[in-house]
Amino acid sequence: MADGYMNRFLFVDLTRLEARSVPVPERLKKDFVGGKGFGARLLFELCPKGADPLGPENPLMFMTGPLTSTAAPAMRACLVTKSPATGLFLDSYFGGRFGPEIKYAGFDGLIITGRAEKPVYLWISDLKTEFRSAEKIQGTDSLEANRLIKADLDEPEACAATIGQAGENKVATALINCEYNRQAGRGGAGAVMGSKNLKGVAIKGSQLVRTADPKRFKNACKDALREIRESEACAELTEFGTSAAVSFSSEIGTFPYRNFRSQSYGKADKIGAQGQSKHLFLGKSACFGCPIRCSQSGAVRTGKHAHFVTDTVEYETAAMLGSNTDISDIRSVAYLNRLCDLYGLDTISAGGVIAFAFEAAEKGIIDSPEGVDLKFGSSSGAEFIIESMAFRKGPLGDLLADGVEKACRKLGQNTEEFAIQIKGLECPGFAPRGTPGMGLAYMTADRGACHQRGFMVGYELGGQPYQGQQVDADTLTGKARILKERQDYLAGSDALVKCDFGAMGVSPETYSRLLSAAAGRNIPDHFFDSLGERIWNQTRMFNLREGMTFKDERLPGRIIKETVPDGPLQGKIITEQDMLFLREDYYRVRGWDVEGRPTPETLERLGIEDGNTRYFTTG
Amino acid sequence: MQSRIYIKTNFDLCTGCSLCQLACSERLFGGYNPHLSVLRIDHRVENLYHFPTVCNQCANPYCANVCPAGAVARNQETGAMVVDSDKCVACGLCGRYCPIDMIRTDPETGKSIKCDLCLGDPQCAAACPTGALEVIRINPEPSDV
Repeated sequence: MADGYMNRFLFVDLTRLEARSVPVPERLKKDFVGGKGFGARLLFELCPKGADPLGPENPLMFMTGPLTSTAAPAMRACLVTKSPATGLFLDSYFGGRFGPEIKYAGFDGLIITGRAEKPVYLWISDLKTEFRSAEKIQGTDSLEANRLIKADLDEPEACAATIGQAGENKVATALINCEYNRQAGRGGAGAVMGSKNLKGVAIKGSQLVRTADPKRFKNACKDALREIRESEACAELTEFGTSAAVSFSSEIGTFPYRNFRSQSYGKADKIGAQGQSKHLFLGKSACFGCPIRCSQSGAVRTGKHAHFVTDTVEYETAAMLGSNTDISDIRSVAYLNRLCDLYGLDTISAGGVIAFAFEAAEKGIIDSPEGVDLKFGSSSGAEFIIESMAFRKGPLGDLLADGVEKACRKLGQNTEEFAIQIKGLECPGFAPRGTPGMGLAYMTADRGACHQRGFMVGYELGGQPYQGQQVDADTLTGKARILKERQDYLAGSDALVKCDFGAMGVSPETYSRLLSAAAGRNIPDHFFDSLGERIWNQTRMFNLREGMTFKDERLPGRIIKETVPDGPLQGKIITEQDMLFLREDYYRVRGWDVEGRPTPETLERLGIEDGNTRYFTTG
Repeated sequence: MQSRIYIKTNFDLCTGCSLCQLACSERLFGGYNPHLSVLRIDHRVENLYHFPTVCNQCANPYCANVCPAGAVARNQETGAMVVDSDKCVACGLCGRYCPIDMIRTDPETGKSIKCDLCLGDPQCAAACPTGALEVIRINPEPSDV
């Protein structure tokens, strides 16, 4: 019976250059649904304990969900692997056209292990897989690799996911470019791909994705589209993409400035919607199947960096490569963004690394190489660091290529105080002092500091009510409960795989109806909350198994020791005591022990099985 | 003059979202795959531009001109060139000679499939969120005027 799934995974062993199709177990679909859920369970089963993230045994998994590639609006796909940045569970999401094509080629997911002897790329077309030489493509940037792969195949309509030089050089912040302007950005998945000698994956297919109840599914799609149409938040994304959040964040005081020393930026308008509308935007572009069209596509057509195509400089990129490095010319920020895309670097982490290096240089801990100005506001300094990282040029490039956590451990001299990271992942662009719930979200996110696993700023300073009540920003009590609910719902709906922007319009009830009609299963109330709690605890079990402890779940030194020096949140801090209270409360709410380990009762309640019980064996 | 329906493509409004193609493949095959739809979007210059192409329902229809079985004919109510699958012999000539590559092949029967304007209510245009696909209706002059 049609159920929205293709009901096959493609297992690829790059060491043996073998690929085979494996049925998706019914029980896996029932318990984990897809996307993040599949990834959470499969990483636990397929990645050996203690595996080197850059070793052949670490699986690199592209996962879709039961709604990916259907007409359900704003669906995506995700990448799951063990992160070289954190050594922990990593899920990274991407829109665009690559994800849907996985299902059109006949698969719900691609599970890639091993290491090819020589550089290769994969060509997957209608259940057939070819291993093709990438020796002539190796060394190119991610977009040139995309072009060369399609030319080599003579398949202009294929979609390709590629890495740039950063991935080849196993940089901890390397991403996978899922054409165009869509990336599996965070956590270093590009380095995992590079470690496998895999330069790209090209894919195309003519399989139909069918649903169990087409009529009911189409009606649910109509409701989802209507909810998006009626959503003010979605309308703002249509108008400006995420750039509108730049000025807003600066006004409420959550915009990181100069390596998170301050939290607002006097020049925010220049790098936000206002500056971008003037200098960049030309038209709108959408991910596959999405009516929101948040991409404000355009070009830099004036100034010294003209001419190149650019998407919206996303909020996070504007925050981290702009304000956090004090670079206020949006064309320069767009150029740095472009370099990161080409070399294949996460702009969030790159911005964190650059700001860390600028501060270290300011304090005399590292030296600016001759002819280079490593200081806040220096676009050429930022460009130098991006290139040094991507190519691991010189001792400085090599040091920074592993991210700020490893860099501060090597540098010593109290640099950990201004290494703005959690569990090895650089903090994203919402500065948390004054929003303790957001701080807790960063501390407890499964992939390291992340703003997409419970966006507490919305409640704390954005005026979003919780159960009809306004939420006081400074209050600590109760934040853990709100956060748990958000984390669970998001993890559950990331099994579909939904886009966070679509979810600003589409209601939980409509997601339930979409899944119910597509998969032909009964979806009870609060399904995504309980599914998400199971997934969240599953990723927790992986992280604990890989050596993470409660001691890793803490905020960076600056956040708990320095008050915000100016701006709307002047004087705010999350003290060590606040942090410990929040964490303790959170563990309690989650049904975990005082050291953050799910109790046997919690695991039993959620139906999470240990490592000895497997959903499937790879044979 | 006969009644005609056209789909006008406005590339300046197209975002490349493909909701049109999904609606099309769903109607034709009962499932989703843009490659099986009978309209196309060319995504160019890193998605800076998206060019939708739909069947032109030509006045000089090459598809019908080359068909050896007389299977492609104009529907008088919509003006669409429509494939009669009972007559189609699956030779593929219509697709081979369509200048804008608008003919698909049914994966099961091998017969040709093309845009029939959804019998007057184009689902692609209904699914388009931006007006990039615009339905233009030309009604015949009342004969008694």
